[in-house]
Formats: sequence, structure tokens, C-alpha cells
Amino acid sequence: MDDKYSSNVISGGKLGRVEVPNARLTRYIVLLLLTKMLKALGIFESYDLLKVVHIVQFVFILKLGCAVILLFFQKPFSTGKMVAKRQWIKILKHAVISSIISLLGFFGLTLCGPLRTLLLFEHSDVVVISLLSVLFTSSGGGPSKTRGAAFFIIAVICLLLFDNDDLMAKMAEHPEGHHDSALTHALYTGIAFLGVADHKGGVVLLVLALCLKVAFSTHSRKLSVEIGGAKRLYALSSLVSAMVLLPWVTVLSATTESKVESWSGLIMPFVMIIFSVMILDFYVESICTAKLEAPRSARYGSIFLFLSGLLLANFWTHPLTDQLRAMSKPGQQASTEHVLSGGVLVSACFFILSDSILSSPSKKGQKGTLVGYSPEGIPLYNLMGDALQHSSQSLPRFIKDSLKQILEEYDSRQIFYFLCLNLAFTFVELFYGVWTNSLGLISDGFHMLFDCSALVLGLFAALMTRWKATRIYSYGYGRVEILSGFINGLFLMVIAFFVFVESISRLIDPPNINTVMLAPVSVGGLIVNLVGICAFSHAHSHGASKGSCSGHEHGHSHHGHGHGEHGHSHGGHGHSHGHGHSHSPGGRGMNANMRGVFLHVLADTLGSVGVIISTVLISQFGWLIADPICSLFIATLIFLSVIPLLKDACEVLLLRIPPEHEKDLNFALEKVQKIEGVLSYRDPHFWRHSANVVAGTVHLQIMSDVVEQRVIQQVTAVLKDAGVNNLTVQVEKEAYFQHMSGLSTGFHEVLAMTQQMESMKYYKDGTCIM
Amino acid sequence: MVAVDVINFQDSDTPLHRKKQETDTYVLWSGPPWTLTEQGTIHPFRKTHKSFLGKFVQEFNLVASDRRSWKILLFGVMNVICTACLLMWCNSTNSMALTAYTYLTIFDLFSLITCLMSSWVTMKKPSQLFSFGFERFEVLAVFASTVLVQLGALFILKESVERFVEQPEVHTGRLLVGTFVALFFNLLTLLSVKNKPFVYVSEAASTSWLQEHVADLSRSLCGIVPALSSFLLPRMNPFVLINLAGAFALGITYMLIEINNYNAVDTASAVAIALMTFGTMYPMSVYSGKVLLQTTPSHVIGQLDKLLREVSTLDGVLEVRNEHFWTVGFGSLAGSVHVRIRRDANEQMVLAHVTNRLHTLVSTLTVQIFKDDWTRPSLVSGVLPAATLSASDYGGASGFLPPASSKQAEELDPLTSTPTKPSSPPPEFAFNTPGKNIQPVVLPSTHQHRPYNLGGGLGVGAGLGMGARLPSVQGYRTSFSAAPHRYGSNLLPSQTSQYRP
Repeated sequence: MDDKYSSNVISGGKLGRVEVPNARLTRYIVLLLLTKMLKALGIFESYDLLKVVHIVQFVFILKLGCAVILLFFQKPFSTGKMVAKRQWIKILKHAVISSIISLLGFFGLTLCGPLRTLLLFEHSDVVVISLLSVLFTSSGGGPSKTRGAAFFIIAVICLLLFDNDDLMAKMAEHPEGHHDSALTHALYTGIAFLGVADHKGGVVLLVLALCLKVAFSTHSRKLSVEIGGAKRLYALSSLVSAMVLLPWVTVLSATTESKVESWSGLIMPFVMIIFSVMILDFYVESICTAKLEAPRSARYGSIFLFLSGLLLANFWTHPLTDQLRAMSKPGQQASTEHVLSGGVLVSACFFILSDSILSSPSKKGQKGTLVGYSPEGIPLYNLMGDALQHSSQSLPRFIKDSLKQILEEYDSRQIFYFLCLNLAFTFVELFYGVWTNSLGLISDGFHMLFDCSALVLGLFAALMTRWKATRIYSYGYGRVEILSGFINGLFLMVIAFFVFVESISRLIDPPNINTVMLAPVSVGGLIVNLVGICAFSHAHSHGASKGSCSGHEHGHSHHGHGHGEHGHSHGGHGHSHGHGHSHSPGGRGMNANMRGVFLHVLADTLGSVGVIISTVLISQFGWLIADPICSLFIATLIFLSVIPLLKDACEVLLLRIPPEHEKDLNFALEKVQKIEGVLSYRDPHFWRHSANVVAGTVHLQIMSDVVEQRVIQQVTAVLKDAGVNNLTVQVEKEAYFQHMSGLSTGFHEVLAMTQQMESMKYYKDGTCIM
Repeated sequence: MVAVDVINFQDSDTPLHRKKQETDTYVLWSGPPWTLTEQGTIHPFRKTHKSFLGKFVQEFNLVASDRRSWKILLFGVMNVICTACLLMWCNSTNSMALTAYTYLTIFDLFSLITCLMSSWVTMKKPSQLFSFGFERFEVLAVFASTVLVQLGALFILKESVERFVEQPEVHTGRLLVGTFVALFFNLLTLLSVKNKPFVYVSEAASTSWLQEHVADLSRSLCGIVPALSSFLLPRMNPFVLINLAGAFALGITYMLIEINNYNAVDTASAVAIALMTFGTMYPMSVYSGKVLLQTTPSHVIGQLDKLLREVSTLDGVLEVRNEHFWTVGFGSLAGSVHVRIRRDANEQMVLAHVTNRLHTLVSTLTVQIFKDDWTRPSLVSGVLPAATLSASDYGGASGFLPPASSKQAEELDPLTSTPTKPSSPPPEFAFNTPGKNIQPVVLPSTHQHRPYNLGGGLGVGAGLGMGARLPSVQGYRTSFSAAPHRYGSNLLPSQTSQYRP
């Protein structure tokens, strides 16, 4: 065990890519740290600025300033080759999309506050790409990546659910007229339509913008090569986007009055933001990516950014930082805005963790499949498997194929139609419940979904039953049906148990029940389930008739029936047996899967009937106790009706001799005994493998002068009459045992034999006679 | 289970003795159908309830007579008390996460029952109704308990979804106490009761995702602190793992509810515990379910293929088909196989060799040998016994009965109960004319199956003397040929009883 793991560690860690030691890269890391701190500062400031400056104006100023500085540094027009007309169109597209993304990002900033924006929006491409590959492809890259993705999702959920940001309530009270522009108004209404608070809407918006950003930057890589470098593209694109935004800004400033008192006071902060957020970050990032490799710089960058964001968020409202803040504001509500909460802290921790996990280089070498060992004993791996496995069929085709398969057979078709009906009813119920805000309906809808899982299981089993036999499933998949019946039986037992416990707790303390909504829903459920019962009971008789048609079953069907009758008169639970048998006359070992599904539907029907009865009793007489008593009764009924199913399935799974063939097999074995030349038999094993396979093995000892094949023929015929249709007969003569003892002679056997021989001299003569 | 030793050597006895034995067995077999043995053995599903209870009590007494099961019973009682306490606390705290954790305690109860059942199984001998023995009860118990826990987890998931819609308040009073009590009892039960079936399954099944993540984490941890490797690197026990993880989740829940009153954490950690339960139990239920489905275990397929290839290269074997191999309980393999042989091959010889090859791996084996077109009289079988050196070697085969020609047409078909594979080659030696059957004299010394030729050149003279072709027979000559009577004689009367029920 240890050896295995240590060798794994060697192959995984030491033989992977070699990282440059940190000491040589310290200056880059420090540079990265400084840049990220400045960037965090810039984002915090821009949040303050955005309170006064309109978002479109803000983005325009940023782009313009950025373009001016980059034109000065980069000289995109004077250096490099000429930009063709076709490329200008591409740059225009690039610029439009990038300005949309930055608009979205800054709008998210106004919604969520700077810290949350930092946490959500500022992830590098490496992180997001590996996150998406874990989520949407099967080849994620091992458990560590999965963990990273889970952390990321948990962090987002933390921000969504556990971050009760007080300010958001205030923001939500915004009068509609407050919104400055058509853009923000549209976004606000969009978020309000989703029915979430502004802050949560901001979180969702930022996550979407992040994905968009990553897709965009990946896509624009090709364009940057075409133009001649990412920096040149960046300069040109920001220039073009400033030009694109210019008409909007002029229209805006003409139509709305500005809240800004003096633009001159804002010059310094704007310069600071442009420098830190747009210019410095871009350059340092490109340098660090070159020097440190992308994953590492992504890891360090995000950690620094998040930590400095946390620090700033803690001290932003502190008086000490007032000098830092360019905008001296009348501090009325500023202190309560987007404060640090526990949820944010937790999610920041999770984000840092997930970024460091997701950005670590994946060890591709571990994914190879072991082919074998080289002559020297070194394991050989096959790394090609990944590339070759991508020939899976497309989703629509898969759905079409499986639908066709489902509709081919009677059983699966029945289940499928009923499942559709059930799901439709469930969704109507759920929608109506959401619409009318009725919790009872919603919870009943979820209950129905829970029940549907049993149907889905039955459907799968009915599909799998028809699969061809494989090397592993050498008898075919017929037994899946029985296993599914067993699981469905257990499912019903669990349901009965929960209903039982619930009704007992209600018996002690009957709650008040609102009967208004209950009756129509339960009537609807009853109708749906009655349809199901009709369909499945038809299926039952269908299956039974099919079973009795096939030759040998016919003669013995009355056996099983009489047997059942016997159980009836003796059983202490007559009516439940009646349920089990009335629909399956003589068919004990038939389709367990369909029986399970049928019982499920039956239980649901009973539930609906119980609800209707108790509703009537409660509304007419006010007997609150009727409800728990009804459910108690139903639970018992379900429990008792499941027992026969479970019992039969267990018998099959435990390889018991099929009870309906017991007598015949017994007679058949007696007959076998009487076949000419047969001395005796041993190890008779007979068991039901699936609904229509009864398998058996038996060893026969015959006299030496009898032809084996004849005996096999006779025995096969006799046992086939008894219902065994997959038989293996081993015919042994005396010679066989002699051969066996000769073949298996080892030292110990020889020793034992010589000892036995000495003690049993008497029998020697007998053998000699033969 | 394969009775390799001499089982039945009545032929060597005096005819009188043999007759007596035969009647003896006959009486046993033809007794009232199944009832004779049923009194001695118990099967859990009786037709009437009263006897079921009676049987149950009887079986229970049988199990309880063993000292070792007292401990299990004691733990079971403790577990029931603990579970009842926990369920009460679940009700009073109104916590979903604690309920999910309590289900793990209930699972421990199931595993104790499974443990009892496995000790019961070891006491039972195969009966006539359950001819493969009772090992399967163990497998079924494991499967049922894992599936039940997963269904419980499904129920938790459903309840949690309902709770997300409307989150009730959770009281933390007994939450931490309940967690620690449950953790303590679970770990105590896990570590002090030796639960054979679950230990086996948890080792044989594939790793759960929880185990994988912990292994990954601990591997990277061992990169930093190598001293921990002996403790962390071996495969973790999944049950201990899920108990610890669940307790951890509950601890976090308690903390967050106490500090910030985040009631939704309770639901979230209930979902987490339910998912972990799924992850832990799913591989085990898949493993035991595959045993129940009578599948060939994938880890023995390589070995089996090798053995079957060996079998198909034996002299006289034409093809091997209808091979079914599956596990009876946890471990022991059972199987049946049909072997088609050449018309002139010796059936008993091939049977012995096939059995000898396979029974190293497959303990309950049945081999059906069949020939195509066997009804045609063959010259070989008629002269066969005379060819051997000692008459008792293949004794008795001289009395070959000519087949009844009226039967042969319809009886040929049921010979192979399952349809033959389409790929099966046509029989090599199914000649229509008996004249073709006689081949030129083959000297036995030229045959290529050296390893089986243990008897040396014993058959040479005979083969030449008869002028018939006997290469396969000679090739299989086993080492005992010198003293057939020796092995014939070592039959104890008691040994014959093993094929009585």
C-alpha cells in the first residue's frame, strides 16, 4: 500500500513540471502585490465615484484616459504594420464587447460594493477555464480540481445566501425615478423580474460578466496576434470604445443634469483609477505572466487582490483612510455600506482556496491508463485514451434513440406514459403553488417528484432488461428487473415507515389542517393514479397471459394458484394478499419490476383516497383525529402489500428453488433417478435467474457402460418439463473420479491416500474384481 | 465443492453392497418432497406467520448460543436506545442535519444485524431449498442496508428542498450533545465490533468520492509532513470517514447558528450529509448488487479467460460456450460451462481435465460435455476398453448400447438448452459416413500433448495392437494408470453420503 502511494507521489510531483524557485522571482511577486493593492484601492475609489458620476460617463472617461496614455506609450499608429480595414471592423467588435463587459462589471460594482466585486469578478482566465472544464466535461483533472470547483460554488452560494448586507435593503427601496439612464433602468427591472434582491442580482450579474469576460479574452487572443500584440490591440480597442461611447455620453449629458459639483475635483481620482486599474494592472499582469507562468501569477494575483480587498474593506470607512479618499463626502450613511459580514469573510476564504487549487497546473500524467509493465518492471501508461473517447453521440440523437427504445416494449411504454402524466401533474401543481404562494401545494409537488423517482427506476430497469448479455452479465440483464422490484419494495417500506412515524406524532398532537386546497389536489392525484392503476393492471394481466402461453408453464399454472389459495386461507393478512394476487393470477415469479411500480401507484392512490376521506371527515364533523388515523391505516396497508413483493424478490435474489417449480423439480429428480444407467445425482442447484430464465445445474453419476449423451438428453428433457430452461448437466462415470484423483495428486493427497489404503485393505479385493 | 475425491465407487464393491446403497439413497431422495430436509433447515419465508415467528425465535436462539454474538446484541440494544434518544432530540431541535446524522446511527443498527446474520450464515449448511448455501443472505443484507440508508438520504434531500422554501427555526440546545453522542456511539460500534461482511465490501468496492478527496488531501499533506504517511496514506475506512465528516458539518452548523443565527446552514449541512451518505454507500450497493445480479466479477475475468483458453486447447475440445461464472457469497465463485468435444474424444477424460483446470478458481463447478451427432455408431467407442492396458482403467465402457434410432431426431435439440453462438465453427469430425472415421494408424508417441502424457508409453502397445485411433485417449493418460485399484479402494462408506441431501 505504501509503496503504491509513494510511487504515485513520485510520478505525480517530482516528474511534473519544475517550478522556478521563488527567490529569483521575488521582485515580480512584490510588483504583483503592489499592483494588486493599487488596483483594489482603485476599485474602492471608483465605487465612491460611481455614486456621483453616471456609469456610462465613468466608463467613457476611463476608456478615453486609458487610450490617451496608451497612445502615448504604445504609439500604435506609428509603429507596426498598417491595420487593414477588415481588421478595423474586428477591432470595433472587440471594442463594443469590451465596453459592454466593463459596463456590466461597473454596474455590478454599484450593486454589490467593491469587496464583493473584487471577489467575484477578478478571477484570471486560467481559474475560470479549469472551473468550467470541471463542471461541464468529464475530464476535469482529478479530485483536487473537483474540490476547487466545489469551493468556488460554495463561495458564490455563501455570497448569495449568507451575506445579509444591510445596505441592500436600502438600495432596494430606490424609487424607480432615481435611476439615471435607460441602461441601468433596464438592468434594474431585469433583476427585479428575477425576484431577487438587488445585491443578489449583482452577484449573479457579476458571475455572468466573469464568464463573458473569460470567453471574450480567450476569443480575442487570435485577433491580438493578427493586430500585432496584445498591447497594441488594447490601445486601439480602448480608443475605439471611447469613440463608440462618445455619442451616448453626449446625449446623456445633454438630457440629464449632472450631480457633480465640480469636475476639477475629480481629476485626481480619475487619474488614479485609470492608472491603477487600467494601465498598471495590464502591464504588470503581462510581465508577470511571462516571467512567472500564467498559473502562478494567477494564483498570487488573486490572493493578493482578495487580501488587500479585505483589508481595505475593513479600513475604508475608518477615519485614518480619509486622507486616502479623494472624495470627502458628507459621511451620513457611508459607514453602513457593504460592511464586512461573516458570509463575505467565509466566501473570501473559499475563493482564495478555490483559486489556488484551480490555478495549480493539472498533472496530466496521472490520467493515463495502465497498459502493462515493461521488461524492466516500469509501469507503462496509455495517455491516448482521453483523445479517443470523445466520439460520444450527440445529446438529441441519444434522447431520440432512448425514446425509441422505451416506446418499443409494452412495459416501458406504460411506465413512460404514466411518468409523463405524473410529471405534468406535478409541474402544474408546483407552478400553481408558486403562483398562489401556497406552501402545501409546493411541498406536495416535491412529494410527487420524490415518488416519480421510483417510476424512473422502474423505467430504467425495464430498459436495461432488454440489453444483450455481455461477458460480465453472462445470463443477460433480466435479473435487473428483480433487483429493481426489490429496491422499489424497500422504497415503499421506507415511505410506509415515514408515514407511520408522522401519523403517530400527529396522533399525539393533531395539527390544524387547512382543507381548502386539499380536496381538489387530492382528487386530481387520485384521477392520475387511477389512470396508472388501469394501465398497470392491464400490463399485469398481459404479462400473465403471455406467461401461461409458453408451453410448460401452462400445465403448472394451477399449481401456483392453488398454492396461493392455500396461503390465502392461512394468512393472517388476507386482504393484502388479495391485492398482490388478484392482479397476478398464477404469476408469482413474473415481472417484479412492474409489480413494484404497480404497488407504488397503488400506494399513491391509497394516499389520495385517505386524504379525501379525512378531508370530508374534518370539514363535515371536525374530527381532526381522522387524518392521522387515515394515514396510519394507509401506512399499514402499504406495508402489508409490499411484503409479498419483497418476499418473492428475496427468494429470487437468494437463489432459492423457485417455489412454483418445487414439486415438479422434485418429481423430475425422482424421474432422473429412474433413468436407465443413472446411479445417483449430487449438487442439484435450481434457481430462477430472471422472469423467464430458470437455471439449473446437476451432477449425475452413471454406470460405466451407458452413453453420456443419451443420459444428458433424457435428463434435459425431464428437467425442461419441470421448467428448467438453462441447464448444465455434468455426467460422471467411474473413470472421471479415477482421472480426477490422478490429476490432483499432490504430496498431501498421496499421503492421505496411502494412509487410507493401509487402513482399508479390505476393499482392495472388490476393486480387483472390477 | 467439487468432489474431486472419489465419491462413488460402488462399482468396485460387491454387487450386493451396491444395491443396498442405491436403495439407501433412493429412500432419502424420494422422501416426501422437500419436507424431510425442511425440518432440519430453516428458510426465513414461511407460508404462515406463526411458523415464521417460531422459526425466527429458533434461529435467534441458535445465533444467541454463540458467545460472540452477545456482544453484537449488546451493541444493538445500546444502538436502539441511542437512536431513540437521538430521534427525540431531532424532534426537539427541529434540525434536519441531526436527522441526517441519526440515519447513520440507524445504518449502524443495520450493519449490526448484518453482522448477526453473517454469524448465522456460518452456522448453516446448504439446504435443499437454498442449495448454494446461505452466504447470499449476507450479500442481500448488505445490499438492503446500503439501499435503505440511501433512500433515507433521498428523503432527507426532499425534506431539505422543502425547507429551503420555508426555513423553520432550529434550536441548538441539544444539537452539539446529539452530535457527540452519535459520533461516539458510531465510532464505538465501528471499531469494536468486527463486522466481516461490511469490512469486506468496503475494501472490495471502488472508492467513494469522499475517500478520493481525503486521499488526495492527505497525499498533499504528506508531501509537507512525511511522518504522517503511515497514518494517512492507507485507504480510509469509509464509515469512519463519513461519521467524522458528518460530525464536522454538524459542528459548523452549530457554530454558525449560535453566532449568526443562520438557520439555513442546518439545511445546507443536511444536504451535505445526505450527499456524503450517497457517495459512501453507492459503491457498496453497486458491488453487492452486482453479486446479487449473478455477474462475473470483473477482477477475475482475466484469470478466467486464461483458464478458458487453456481449456479450449485441450485435446478433443472444439469449443467452450455458455460459460456462466458468478459469485455465490462474498468470494466463492460458482459457474457452469458447456464444452463441445470431438466425436471420438473421451468424455470423462476431457471432463476431468476441464474440471481440474477450472476448479482452482471456481469452487462450485458444473461442466456439461456434449458431442454433435453422437447417435451415429462409432467404431472407436466399441473397441475402446480393449485398448487400454488394464481393463479397470476405463472399465465398463464395453457395454455400449446402440442408440434407439426413433428418438434421435427430436432429442438432439434439447441437448443444448441454450442456443449455440452463431460464431461456433462446424464440427470438425461430424462425418456422415462411418468409413471416413477410420483414419490411418496414428502412433501415440507422435501426439503433441506432452504434459498430459504422464503415463509414459504405457499406451503404445495397445494403440498399435488395436489399429484403431486412440490418440486423444492416450494423450490424457494420467499418472495413476498403474494402480487403478488403489484409488478405487480408498472409498469410505461415509464418503458416499456427501451427495445425500
